[in-house]
Amino acid sequence: MAVPLVEMRGITKVFPGVVANEGVNLAVHAGEIHALLGENGAGKSTLMSVLTGLYRPDGGEIYLDGRRVNFRSPRDAIEAGIGMVHQHFRLVAPFTVTENVALGLKGGLKLNINRLAGEIAALSKEYGLQVDPQARIWQLSVGEQQRVEIIKLLYRKARVLILDEPTAVLTPQEARDLYRTLKRMAAQGCAVIFITHKLQEVMDAADTITILRGGRTVATVKKGDTSEKELARMMVGREIAWQEDKPVVKKGEKVLEIKDLKAFNDKGLLALRGINLEVFAGEILGIAGVAGNGQRELAEVIAGLRPCQGGTITVSGKKLGQCDPCRVIQAGVGYIPEDRLGTGLVPNLGAVDNLLLKEYRHPRWGRTLMSRKAARQWAGELVEHFKVKMAGLDAPVKMMSGGNLQRLLLAREISSRPRLLVAVYPARGLDVGATETVHRLLLEQRAAGTAILLISEDLEELFRLADRIAVMYEGQIMGLMATEKASVEELGLMMAGSKRMEVGA
Amino acid sequence: MKKGIRVLLMLLLALAVAVAAAGCGGQKPAGESKSGGNTAGGGQDQNQKMKVAFVYVGPVGDAGWSWAHDQGRKYLAEKLPWVEATYMENVPEGADAERVLTELAEQGNKIIFATSFGYMDYVINVAKKYPNVIFMHCSGYKTAENVGTYFGAMEEARYLSGMVAGKMTKKNVLGFVAAHPIPEVIRGINAFTLGARSVNPNVKVKVVWTNTWYDPAAEKQAALSLLDAGADIIAQHQDTPGPQQAAQERGAYGIGYDSDMSQFAPNATLTSPVWNWGPYYVKTVEAVKNGTWKPEQYYGTMKDGIVDLAPFNKMVPQDVRDLVEKKKQEIIDGKFFVFQGPIKDQSGKIRVQEGQKMSQEDILGFNWFVEGVEGEIPK
Amino acid sequence: MPATAAPQNTSRSSGPGSGPVLTWEKRLEPSRLMAVVVPVISVILALAVGAIFLSATGFQPLKVYQSMLNGAVGSKYGISETIVKAIPLMLAGLGVSVAFRMLLWNIGAEGQFYMGAFGASWVALTFPHLPAYIMLPAMFLAGGLMGALWGLLPALPRAKWGVNEVITTLMLNYVAILWVDYLVYGPWKDPRGFNFPLTAPFSDAASLPTIAGTRVHVGLIFALVAAVLLAIILWRTRWGYEIRIIGESARAARYAGMNIERNIILVMLLSGALAGLAGMSEVAGITHRLQHGISPGYGYTAIIIAWLAKLHPATIILVSLLFGGLIVGGYSVQTSGVPAATVSMLQGAILFFVLGGEILTRYRLHFGRKEGK
Repeated sequence: MAVPLVEMRGITKVFPGVVANEGVNLAVHAGEIHALLGENGAGKSTLMSVLTGLYRPDGGEIYLDGRRVNFRSPRDAIEAGIGMVHQHFRLVAPFTVTENVALGLKGGLKLNINRLAGEIAALSKEYGLQVDPQARIWQLSVGEQQRVEIIKLLYRKARVLILDEPTAVLTPQEARDLYRTLKRMAAQGCAVIFITHKLQEVMDAADTITILRGGRTVATVKKGDTSEKELARMMVGREIAWQEDKPVVKKGEKVLEIKDLKAFNDKGLLALRGINLEVFAGEILGIAGVAGNGQRELAEVIAGLRPCQGGTITVSGKKLGQCDPCRVIQAGVGYIPEDRLGTGLVPNLGAVDNLLLKEYRHPRWGRTLMSRKAARQWAGELVEHFKVKMAGLDAPVKMMSGGNLQRLLLAREISSRPRLLVAVYPARGLDVGATETVHRLLLEQRAAGTAILLISEDLEELFRLADRIAVMYEGQIMGLMATEKASVEELGLMMAGSKRMEVGA
Repeated sequence: MKKGIRVLLMLLLALAVAVAAAGCGGQKPAGESKSGGNTAGGGQDQNQKMKVAFVYVGPVGDAGWSWAHDQGRKYLAEKLPWVEATYMENVPEGADAERVLTELAEQGNKIIFATSFGYMDYVINVAKKYPNVIFMHCSGYKTAENVGTYFGAMEEARYLSGMVAGKMTKKNVLGFVAAHPIPEVIRGINAFTLGARSVNPNVKVKVVWTNTWYDPAAEKQAALSLLDAGADIIAQHQDTPGPQQAAQERGAYGIGYDSDMSQFAPNATLTSPVWNWGPYYVKTVEAVKNGTWKPEQYYGTMKDGIVDLAPFNKMVPQDVRDLVEKKKQEIIDGKFFVFQGPIKDQSGKIRVQEGQKMSQEDILGFNWFVEGVEGEIPK
Repeated sequence: MPATAAPQNTSRSSGPGSGPVLTWEKRLEPSRLMAVVVPVISVILALAVGAIFLSATGFQPLKVYQSMLNGAVGSKYGISETIVKAIPLMLAGLGVSVAFRMLLWNIGAEGQFYMGAFGASWVALTFPHLPAYIMLPAMFLAGGLMGALWGLLPALPRAKWGVNEVITTLMLNYVAILWVDYLVYGPWKDPRGFNFPLTAPFSDAASLPTIAGTRVHVGLIFALVAAVLLAIILWRTRWGYEIRIIGESARAARYAGMNIERNIILVMLLSGALAGLAGMSEVAGITHRLQHGISPGYGYTAIIIAWLAKLHPATIILVSLLFGGLIVGGYSVQTSGVPAATVSMLQGAILFFVLGGEILTRYRLHFGRKEGK
């Protein structure tokens, strides 16, 4: 076998109190798409930061084309041909694509912008990265911005491309386009590494997969030699009980009815353009769509956090007033916001205060003076029941891991026995184990007769949980179908706005 | 975190108490030997200095009121080597004053000079508690067994400076940056106006109040507003040279106050009515030592040397100098009295009849402006 | 610290190619040891720096420090005066701390203090013949009410239209100070005061009782009771719970259905009332008359105190005493011949180092690599 293009041997990186990488090995060959798979905190990002010169390893070596290299800064890595597309793009919004590519190039002011634009156009054609070199970044969609990031790397003659969770912000179609681009780059002799925790993505795009767990390499496998189940086991360290089939729950009465709902986004533009939806007891209605198409606004209007500009929301026959979260809570609506730490939970306060957030008005804590003891006891029981792990009931919740935060949030929202539960991206950013817990809890609620509105970008998740799936695009419902009748292809087209079906209630 | 601060405070307090205790322990023997020396040795020990303290409302570096008093303190220390004269500066005329006076009495000072009017009530309060300490309050009017007051006839020097201004003005408009609307300041403005009009009957004196004693920026601003209103010579009653500096910036003239302010605005300052407290302080301290001190309301004059006019600047012509020097000699000789009739008020009504002298009581309680002053006394 | 947008824990924030050499990293959890050691070291450092300066200007540092401590806590009188100085700081500090807890930047304690002093003086001057048992409660109420009113004025536009309270509270300080000046220079001037900017002295009934032989007045009790009540409100009542949640995260508070506008108004009323009481206790306990410049910046010092105390009521009491001591001790140092300016510098150095140390317990300096250009 040929010498790997990149090889990392025995990489160890220690942070105060944490061993992030311990003897990690990774070998990536030219012409290969290599997935770096692992749960949150498995050490994927640290490893890539070492490779891109951001961190210096405490132990181990890096070889490029078989020669040992020693990166003292990200610039060294870039000059050696290693580039990374971060999850949050590093583009200057008011600049054009060409200007963004030009940023940081040597030659400074002498740069010939027109020639550069031509070169960008050629590159984008060669790799199927459609983008207008003259467009300004703010005019571009998230997918296009990602392409600009890739072009930046290609222009700098990067031979090793690293992408951090590249599909998180893309529609299925866009993701497929991306995979095609990656394959073409690999064919040109590049090595592509992408970080992910989505099994689907790995199976779709990767040639070789290296699994990390707890800062160590578990295995490196060829895609053909493995299965999703095996990958999941290696990643989590145990078998995951996939809920292949949802238990059948009898559809109950209508809980949520939304009629012709309109609302503005933060910029004052119409983000909801007449939404009609119904959710029944014991049902999970999934809302699919690429983030930024009005899902957040929809959830916020229901929760009473955003004024509506028209239309009505009815919960169990009672109309919700204008922008009154208190009344929404009393109507029995639980809400798992997208922004867990900050909206759903108060970062600097402990679990007790956080669990009280919607319960503190209850007279059982005492008439004037609240009994700290009773609240603590109640909080302790909830924490135990939902198996939330934490340093202590009074430790600031910001110290907790994402999965435990979500458990705490769910514990509070579920403990109030809501009629309707609005969950926005409830598993986003969570590892497989935590995702499983969240899914299990949602299904339990469904079985208990709660109506659930689940907003998600993850089609896998929607297929697993939802009874019906609606697709949102630019503030409108593009279509609504029973999950068993839906296809990824069709949903993807609707998410991209290129297909619309008549919604018959 | 919160615990941390609490622990810190505990530590600090403990430290404080420990050091304080050590301090007391260290000082007590000294204090005892001091009193012991007094009873046993009898009379004045050579090494035993008499402690005298001064309390200033402004910083000693103000080049004005507090500075003039501090010059007096230094003079005292130099003339009487057996005196240990300390001071406290920047003491506000409020709650803090009472504590500072108490502390000074507590520290064994025999005489305390409180040099601002606003200390008056606090001086009286503290004096009651320390009958063996002599309190001298400058510019006040309340006395007690152990409280005397002292002040001086600044109007004499003011009158002379007014003569200079009256002679030197071209526009016949003088500006006066006034401090607080109290009799002392009103008296000064009146004397200045009378002096100016004695040599130039067409002169007007415009007054702006700052309600400050020491606020260089505000006082400079007030002077600029007077210059804008047409004045070409600026006089003042503050503890800073700000008004003269404003005059210099605009190419106008100024008259200082408290001390010779020519060093701060050398091209503008014509002269300054100045205080000269040193000799009086020496006299007072000696009187206390000799046991001849009595509570009185001292009001020193130019003859006593407590007020004077600073040397003329070079741009003051010889004839003006001669004129002023002559009047000064008349004042010293008792031939001329500043507030002698006829004196008209702003409305033109005669308030002091021809040949009549204002009583000391009226002078100390001045609450009206003489003719020629443009401005109002806030009521 | 109820953080405003807290700097993120990221040493990677530097884009490729342009990393800063020095970055701040927020500590996840300040260590207990640090919390104790750092402030102590800070004070020692401040004293050391002060000592160098003092030696350079020809003073004996140890002697100066000793006289500072002696003045502040070295005698019964010193201690009592430290407390006297601390009382208005305690009340005003407690006042601003409630507002700060909700991230309401009430910079207006100074103005609220003046209005409280005004309210109390109005009662004392208008009804001079009231007996003490009516006079004092009436002054208490008037002082608190006027302070509360002065807190309400900026609270209303903030609650209704989101008008920045930093500007409004600050501006209202000047209004209050000038209003009191107008009164003491004008209609309320003591006719026998030789035109000095003071009102006539209050009747004896308008004097707060004092501890015998000292100037420590009942305002101390007000402050201690206020601290206890505040602690109870914050940690034992629903209102306090709302205040804490809103301060930590307004989004979470809205999410939980809390009425933020109403709380802005209530908290500013409370905040202003406490600062107003500080003004009332100062005129009724110390000056016994209203006068120009009645507060030498208590309302502003209170802000520093509230922050140093991390807005915690009991700690505010202690930090106020520390500040009272610094001020009182500062005057004593002058008798060792140290000029007032040097004393201010010493006080400044102590504050600077304590605040600086505070930051170090929360953040750590991160020495990044120098990245070649």
